Amino acid sequence: MKNNLKITLKTFFTDLLFWIYLLGCLYYLFNYWFGFELENIYLLVGGLILTLLFMLSGISLGRKLFLPSRFTELKWSRTFWGWSVILLLIVTFFVGWYLVEVNPYKFFTKFGNARGIMSGLFNPNFDILSMSLKALTETIYLALLATLFAIPFAFILSFFAARNLMPKTLLGNTVYVAIRTFATLFRSIEAIVWAIIFSVWVGIGPFAGMLALMIHSIAALTKLYSEQIENIDDGPVEAIKATGANTLQVWVFAVIPQIISPYLAFTIYRWDINVRMATIVGFVGGGGIGLLLLQQQQLLRWQNVGLIIWLIAAVVWIMDMTSAKIREKLIEM
Amino acid sequence: MKNIIETRDLHKVYASGIHALKGINLEVKEGEFCILLGLSGSGKSTLLRCLNKLIDSTSGEINIDGENVVTASGYTLRRIRRQIGMIFQQFNLIKNVTALTNVLSGKLGYVSLGHSLTFSYHKEDIDAAHENLKRVGLLNFANKKVKNLSGGQQQRVAIARALMQDPKVILADEPVASLDPATADTVMKYLGELNRKDNMTVICSLHFLSLARKYGTRVVALKDGKIVFEGSPKELDERKFKEIYGEDAEEVEIR
Repeated sequence: MKNNLKITLKTFFTDLLFWIYLLGCLYYLFNYWFGFELENIYLLVGGLILTLLFMLSGISLGRKLFLPSRFTELKWSRTFWGWSVILLLIVTFFVGWYLVEVNPYKFFTKFGNARGIMSGLFNPNFDILSMSLKALTETIYLALLATLFAIPFAFILSFFAARNLMPKTLLGNTVYVAIRTFATLFRSIEAIVWAIIFSVWVGIGPFAGMLALMIHSIAALTKLYSEQIENIDDGPVEAIKATGANTLQVWVFAVIPQIISPYLAFTIYRWDINVRMATIVGFVGGGGIGLLLLQQQQLLRWQNVGLIIWLIAAVVWIMDMTSAKIREKLIEM
Repeated sequence: MKNIIETRDLHKVYASGIHALKGINLEVKEGEFCILLGLSGSGKSTLLRCLNKLIDSTSGEINIDGENVVTASGYTLRRIRRQIGMIFQQFNLIKNVTALTNVLSGKLGYVSLGHSLTFSYHKEDIDAAHENLKRVGLLNFANKKVKNLSGGQQQRVAIARALMQDPKVILADEPVASLDPATADTVMKYLGELNRKDNMTVICSLHFLSLARKYGTRVVALKDGKIVFEGSPKELDERKFKEIYGEDAEEVEIR
């Protein structure tokens, strides 16, 4: 009975969402083409009516997804839900086209606007080399410190965020869920957003950038580390337990030896990512080469921009190669 | 001889609902080499893991050397566990460290947390580890990484690790199931030696009757979580064998 209600509710809300979205898209298009105006409430009412109509007649998408009907053996092209999905895709494409202001004409005819930056790229100004290298060094160290500071936090948190290590008690579960939720939450907030927060908090500069990357790295590494723990071979854990070792000894002797080289690999990979992100973070006040790039771009000094772009590309390329090499070696260990 | 292991009406029901042990009454005397027979899924592994509480039993009693295992926790449980060496089908060694380090980890139940976290072992423990590796014929392999050793060598390292515990009892969960017949016999020889020379009580699950007859002093057979046969290996004839393994089973000989 309870299950039935759940299925009905799922069906209802899927259909309701479907029809309101479809009506909304159609309204946007009619408004765009013909200047057609309508109170928003009519979209909701219309969506509700269509939902009830097609849900009750049993041919809607929701019915198809959650309540296998007697039409299931029909090919999709001969069903109502099939065609309504096609309509949805077409309408979505058109709405997207207008929302994003897609304009191929501009793309092909306005290349001239970019002449400055293009010629800057091929005639980089080496006069600012020492200044740029200084900013670049700042960025690399910023990324390095963000990674280093993140390691101990993520290392400890990862043990408590690993399903197989946490006892299946209320406390164990709460700790696991809490840490996993925070890690997901903090990771889903982009480093650039953290940089905005910290550039207000501690002022514009590399320190703000480092804090932003550190927070993001803790969250990301906690997740990667704990998944690594969940993938370990349980055998040694069992064996070390059987010798009479306590929990902490089991972690140190059976878990850590199994995860140490993947941990290092992930950490180096993270440093690699952090160097790349440090540039972006610099744009919003995180200091380093990103900040310099932003300043030169706003002054329209394209030759300076050119040099900075080449330097960033070179560093990212070198980091990418070396980190891949080191990780390869670590996996073999 | 006194009973070193006793279970009374031991039951285990897993969270999945599987009733793995259905009232096991097992008595093992000091110095016995007890072979557990039975199909995969008959409850052998569950029984062995209940004995040192790697798995919590659902109901019933377990006594090992006079200590109640079911209620034990914390330090008491660790003290019970360190008297019971355990050997596994998949060896369960730490693959990317040396044989010596693996053997030393057998001493963890005895060393303080501080000592173990700083990896500072006592000299006598290191000597004992070498001694135990020598005993299983692997002294020259002490500083080799375990993953570079063969299956038989790995299982011998696992035996050396168990020896570090100075155990009274050895639980062996299909110790030779992933080894070739010749290596299997070597590993069983070491277990037999511990049983006879050091008077350790061994409970060992196996699939090969030939090995059971050669090394066992007693056989206990499980089927669907119940004991269906108990007796000396000699009593285990073809009829009994078919009772345990089903009508279609043929005995596979390994020598």
